[in-house]
Amino acid sequence: MEDSGPRKAIGFWILVASLVTSFAWFAYPLYVIRPFRHQGARELAAALSAIQTRPVVDVICVVLALAGLASYWRAQPRRPRRILAAFGTLTVGAFAALSQVNVYELMFHPDTHPLFAAARQTKVDPDDKVLAVKLGGSVRAYPIRTIAYHHIINDVVGQVPIVATY
Amino acid sequence: MWKRESGGLVLTFHLAGINNQNFLMRDDQTGSYWQQITGAAVAGPLKGKRLTWISSDELSFGLWEAEEPNGTVLKDVTKYTSDYEKKDWEAQMMKEPTVLSFANPALGLKPRSLVLGVKAFGASRAFSYDEVVKEKLVLDHVGSEPVLLVVGPDGQSVRAFRGRIRGLEGEPSFYRTLDEKQSRPTDLAWLRQAASAALLMDDLSGGAWNFEGCALSGKAKGICLERVDVIKDYWFDWRNYNPGTTVYAHKT
Repeated sequence: MEDSGPRKAIGFWILVASLVTSFAWFAYPLYVIRPFRHQGARELAAALSAIQTRPVVDVICVVLALAGLASYWRAQPRRPRRILAAFGTLTVGAFAALSQVNVYELMFHPDTHPLFAAARQTKVDPDDKVLAVKLGGSVRAYPIRTIAYHHIINDVVGQVPIVATY
Repeated sequence: MWKRESGGLVLTFHLAGINNQNFLMRDDQTGSYWQQITGAAVAGPLKGKRLTWISSDELSFGLWEAEEPNGTVLKDVTKYTSDYEKKDWEAQMMKEPTVLSFANPALGLKPRSLVLGVKAFGASRAFSYDEVVKEKLVLDHVGSEPVLLVVGPDGQSVRAFRGRIRGLEGEPSFYRTLDEKQSRPTDLAWLRQAASAALLMDDLSGGAWNFEGCALSGKAKGICLERVDVIKDYWFDWRNYNPGTTVYAHKT
């Protein structure tokens, strides 16, 4: 009879490695790139690198976690441990899914389809500040109390694609 | 404000993070990350590229509307209006902590002091916003070039100009002529007439100048001064990205 011990151990450690890796790629950028924290140049570069490699790393982690689970499941006779391994695999998937969420746009919702009104039909207090631009004969103003929330407005003014930021 | 084009691509940006309290943007097209204040790509396929700066003004709405009655204004997104900044948001922001300091008590600069940053003529220079608003007109140099910072008739908008008049030799001195006691910065009717009216005079052309930097009379009538870009920023942020900046101090 085949000894299931090595297969169980390999499946277990593949699953653990996938879980740790997917957690690291999910959590490290969140830890580094958060408000009111000093970002060092190296750690910021590492965090951005993790974000950029995350789609590939997440796919690898999910595939390996499933393979590890299958191996472990076949070799592990105890049901509670099987369920725990399945939960670990689901957690890998959960980290991969959560990595797709842009938390910054949950805090400050984007204005993806900016709309504009004529200056004289706009209810903005006279002493409120605006960011103003004039391009190709077109004139636009972005009230700062509005753009300071959205932070970014992708726009086209006078046929020039611009991004207004605050 | 930036032109959102790079490498032949029109880019669409999203808020994507923060770097020492200056935000990062990510473009949909390449997944590159860009620093808001510098317009530089800091990660991704376009790393090392820079966006092209678009000149803009920070003005009070009343003054802007008086200058540009046919302009258009970004509308609020109704479902988020309760989240928008409140009327006193600038005062509230002053209380927020910073992760960098660069405090300079000798120059009266705290991390969150508002400065008007000028990057021109091979140099960077910061002007305390409060100081400029108090002085109304600042004549200074950035690098070796004369620059004037002018407060608008609304008492809060600021523009900067190169202190040379095209076609005339020499460095003019400018004087403010607006009677501040007559100023009614929240009165749209008053702002509409003040927006294009004389605000300054100079001793070289003998002419009067408005807030758009254009001569209304004198030898330079019809000529406009060259605009110099001004960025309104917190001192810590300006200093972080302009380590060689000098700071204007009022000459007593």
